[in-house]
Amino acid sequence: MEISWLQAALIGLFACLSSMPGMGGSSIGNYTLGRPLIGGLVCGLILGDMTTGILVGCAMQVVYIALVTPGGTVSADVRAVSYIGIPLAMVALNSYGLSPESAEGAALATSFGTMVGTLGTVLFYGTATINLVWQHMGWKAVEKRQYKKLYLIDMGLPWLSHLACSFIPTLIMCKLGADVVELIKNTLPMDGLAMKTLFTVGSLLPCVGIAILLKQIVKKAADFVPFLFGFVLAASMGINLVSATVVAGMFAIINYKIKMLSVKGAVAVDDEEEEEI
Amino acid sequence: MEKKLSKKALLKSFHNWYYGHLTCFSQEHMQTFGYLCAMLPLVEELYDNEDEKAKAMNTYTAFFNTEPQLGTVVVGMTAGLEEARANGQDDVDDETINGLRAGLMGPVAGIGDSLVVGTVIPILLGIAMGMSGGGSPLGAIFYIIVWNLFAYFGMKFLYFKGYNLGAKAVEFLIGAQGEAIRDSVGILGGIVIGAVSATWVSVKTSFTLLNEAGEPYLELQSKLDEVFPGLLTAVFIIICWALMAKKKMSPIKVMLLLVVVAFVGVFVGFFNPGLSY
Repeated sequence: MEISWLQAALIGLFACLSSMPGMGGSSIGNYTLGRPLIGGLVCGLILGDMTTGILVGCAMQVVYIALVTPGGTVSADVRAVSYIGIPLAMVALNSYGLSPESAEGAALATSFGTMVGTLGTVLFYGTATINLVWQHMGWKAVEKRQYKKLYLIDMGLPWLSHLACSFIPTLIMCKLGADVVELIKNTLPMDGLAMKTLFTVGSLLPCVGIAILLKQIVKKAADFVPFLFGFVLAASMGINLVSATVVAGMFAIINYKIKMLSVKGAVAVDDEEEEEI
Repeated sequence: MEKKLSKKALLKSFHNWYYGHLTCFSQEHMQTFGYLCAMLPLVEELYDNEDEKAKAMNTYTAFFNTEPQLGTVVVGMTAGLEEARANGQDDVDDETINGLRAGLMGPVAGIGDSLVVGTVIPILLGIAMGMSGGGSPLGAIFYIIVWNLFAYFGMKFLYFKGYNLGAKAVEFLIGAQGEAIRDSVGILGGIVIGAVSATWVSVKTSFTLLNEAGEPYLELQSKLDEVFPGLLTAVFIIICWALMAKKKMSPIKVMLLLVVVAFVGVFVGFFNPGLSY
């Protein structure tokens, strides 16, 4: 599978739009185009194999299901995961002749994506650092009361940061990708320790993604129960995700009603106390 | 005559924030320039005098960073405060505005990160992945539409809530009803994530013990699944959670640890992805 210059450039454009501080804005850029599932659709369409793109995107999405960037610190860069990792993983699957639907295919895609995503944090810090130059110009404009210039600073000039840190790296990686994959394939045999480790890591990494998410919702041991309940729904009872969401919604509504009862109760109690005072 | 912000200026301000809050991100000033761009249309409409404009704009050069979707409510509130200041209300000055901004940044980021990034997006992605079976684009399209409608209209709602209600708008978020909603959405999220884990994450061991005739008499994986289907997957997720939540390890360190675990596991025969050409 060969990626043409035009295809690589199109993917590069999406990398500019999608990253966290991306040119698509955070709702459309980071939270839509940056999600591996959507990146899979976009890369799949550009590279002419939508099905593989989406399956690869799904496999990587689990690892990055809750990519929170508290205070602007990142553990992975979405533009690298979605627009360098996915095309390379598609090339690799093609080269190894693995089906993207198989467990091995998903594991290969996951290790590739995560490796690229972690290295890609360099791109995040690069973009943010170049933006400092524009912001410096911004403070000058504020001093001189040239406020209209702020639009150029905030929404125009950062495109140059992305040319350097999103477009060019993506273009080069997509073009070199096929050669790199070929090199890995020739040096590391599939039944060797290194490849077995790579594939095993691929199946373990999604655990970290889920755990990052659990960190947000589990504050005490009892908070694990809804998680395990959902796990049982799917693993033991074989309920699919859409149906599991309906079941979950039912429990959420019951919980809300009970909570609101106690809220209303508390208000009534408060009033009584005030009267006594 | 009482100054009143036009709907047109408010919408322009909202759209500048919706798109530009993170486009010119740097580690030093984060969303400050996005905020300046959001306030500019309002300041231009409220003040004719250049000195007054400069005074108002200087207020918003103070550092700002929060969860941008939910943080829209803060921008809306300052729009209301700026209007009050332009009408000569004595108790609104730089200090009140920046005190409010600084005071809300933290709590809004905390709620926003766990509600938007940690719950709503993963739930939508979970459902979308459930609809992506066999590489169908349906899930990705579902996510693109639902998330973007939710983000755009949700943020617009918050902006105008903030503008119209001022400080009362936050009560809705951090008050008792907000607490009940967040708690219920947390349960919904927990159950869906459990189902996502059981569907998309699969940690399996190849550990078997052979009897003298060379036939396996213990296949660990099937024994574990008899106890609790997907036990190994759940255990790995909880270990990752414990390492990050209890031992305060960073996600990247946990990922590196998993590489070591995978290597050792493959070496001793606990893991075997079963690769062959």
